[in-house]
Amino acid sequence: MSMLPQLLFTGIGIGSIYAMVSLGFVLLIRSANVVNFAQGEFSMLGAYLMLILLVSFGVPYFVAMIVSVIVMGLFGIVFGAITYWPLRTRGQIPVIISTIGAGILLENTVLATYGPSPQVLPGVFNASGILIGNIFMDSQYLSMIFTAFVLLALQYVIFEKTMVGKKIQATSQDRETAGLLGIPVVTLIFGIFFYSAALGGLAGILVAPILFVSVGIASVVALKAFAANIIGGFGSIPGAIIGGLLIGIVETLGAAYISVPYKDAYAFIMLIAVLLVRPQGLFGERISEKA
Amino acid sequence: METSRRSIIGILSAGACVGLVGPAFAADTIKIGMTIPMTGPGATTGQLQHQGAKLAIDQVNAAGGVMGRMLELVEEDDQTTNPGMVLAFSRLVNRGDLAIIIASVRSTQVNAVSEDIKKAGMPVFIGGSDPTLTHMGDPWVFRCRPNDTYSSKVIAEFGVHDLKKTKWAVVHGTDAFGASGGRLLIEQLKTMGITPVVEQGINNGQADLTPVVLAIRQSGADVLSTYIAFENDVALFARQLKQFGVTIPWIGSASVASPISRNLAGPALYGVYVVADFDPSASPEAKKFAEEFNKAHQVIPDDQSAWPYDAVMLTAEGLKKTGSTDPMKLRDALHAIKGFKGTEGTYSFDANGDGLTSYNIVQNTNGNMVFIRQITPPAAS
Repeated sequence: MSMLPQLLFTGIGIGSIYAMVSLGFVLLIRSANVVNFAQGEFSMLGAYLMLILLVSFGVPYFVAMIVSVIVMGLFGIVFGAITYWPLRTRGQIPVIISTIGAGILLENTVLATYGPSPQVLPGVFNASGILIGNIFMDSQYLSMIFTAFVLLALQYVIFEKTMVGKKIQATSQDRETAGLLGIPVVTLIFGIFFYSAALGGLAGILVAPILFVSVGIASVVALKAFAANIIGGFGSIPGAIIGGLLIGIVETLGAAYISVPYKDAYAFIMLIAVLLVRPQGLFGERISEKA
Repeated sequence: METSRRSIIGILSAGACVGLVGPAFAADTIKIGMTIPMTGPGATTGQLQHQGAKLAIDQVNAAGGVMGRMLELVEEDDQTTNPGMVLAFSRLVNRGDLAIIIASVRSTQVNAVSEDIKKAGMPVFIGGSDPTLTHMGDPWVFRCRPNDTYSSKVIAEFGVHDLKKTKWAVVHGTDAFGASGGRLLIEQLKTMGITPVVEQGINNGQADLTPVVLAIRQSGADVLSTYIAFENDVALFARQLKQFGVTIPWIGSASVASPISRNLAGPALYGVYVVADFDPSASPEAKKFAEEFNKAHQVIPDDQSAWPYDAVMLTAEGLKKTGSTDPMKLRDALHAIKGFKGTEGTYSFDANGDGLTSYNIVQNTNGNMVFIRQITPPAAS
């Protein structure tokens, strides 16, 4: 039993990364009805940008972090303009395929440019972590948890309590009517592309000191983040967070107490169970209730 | 209209010329096919394999080639996946102009094409160390690394007799390489009267290994042994062991000595023992290869570059002996090789196609691999 607190901390830490990437998914679903399968690649690009600024150009850590996140945001706008905008009237499937294709292109472009060798990215703090009782709290995990919870709070307030959030939701539900009501639909959607890519990039920067900087970083987090999204409720902000954390905790505890090789299966067993029992996800609305 | 007709005639003529000249030019070289991971999680090692094979080809060609012809490397990307491997291997075989193929270092991927190797009808070198790969009754397979029957014996021998450890934690990958290595080590320990206190399988590409590290810490194990294929996983595991204060001696399989693992893990791998099939200090041939490789690529090579280098050199040796690229003759010439001094050791191929039995014990001393001793277990049947 003494392992439990340590395992919970680890599970929440890794779950918070799934949650952050999942948040990026949710935002685009809510604003533009886009399921972006290149969300994991945003994390990979963010990590590489950070590495280049920090290691190659010697930019101070937090400056490099802010610049990377902003550049990622701008990249998100370009990404939206290329993968989403020309296909916006064609329904969801062409856009999904477009984002999958863009993801493959991004991954292979980075591979061709920077080579396959994983690189070491230093963490936010110099200390490896702190020991409280018999729980070792890795400093990078602490950064991930802190950032995820701040973003959760921020995003929840923006979406649920502000007029901008309501406008975004209105845009998501009916773009044409929202436009007729004077909502700046295009600006909002590209604003969300900016934020979503910035968020993905930040998740990559935070997780890279643990997983190293490589093109493979995208696939490690993206699939679980997508599962988190469905478990939490497709398009639900609290759902993305809770879904991500749940996956992190369940797979860590499952690995410790049931079986390590089945660790990757727990997320998807949960996914199937949720789809069977509550298809709309833990925090999702039924489609009929959504309007 | 006239312009477009001329263009078409021009294109057709050029195509015809290529068609005529192409085979004549192609016949000048002896082609060696190679499947390497250019993409996917193994892409890092793919680059090292390419560099090893290419260095050997350049050296053979600089010395005048073989049978008066130059060697040429033809590569296909296996994507570090089994389907990718099947496709890459099939592409190479279907070219119809290769003398030999150098296939994967990953046992899982060799397994995926084992039936195709049987049907290909040409010698195929492999680097995968799962012993069963050369025990399927296929006369076309040749292994350029010692198999894990030997590595497991060397790990057990070193841990029990040299380090005097009896409480073993065995952590292995769940792929063909890791599963077979872990199983063989456990069997070997059992013959010495030892049952491991921890046995854990881990999947490749994990984001966190805390549960495994905590299980080792709680078990009271006094020695750890690993068969983990990918360097990222080795480095993550090493860092987490250090974070949780697990400092027991660690004897790892070859990937733990890789420059990539050492670069990623840094001090977390200091002091770790490795059973490495290649070490620059193990023989004059290994030393010479390491120097030449370092000169070309500014890095000390490991087994990932050494075995493809040997595969090319063995091909050249086989071709010299038989004087023909006929697959059957080349295969028999390779089987007849005895006492060939390669970078990985001295090759004498047995009936199964296994050429090596020795492993080196090396230790990570402040980031550099220091040779301790070579262990040659008795040859297995």
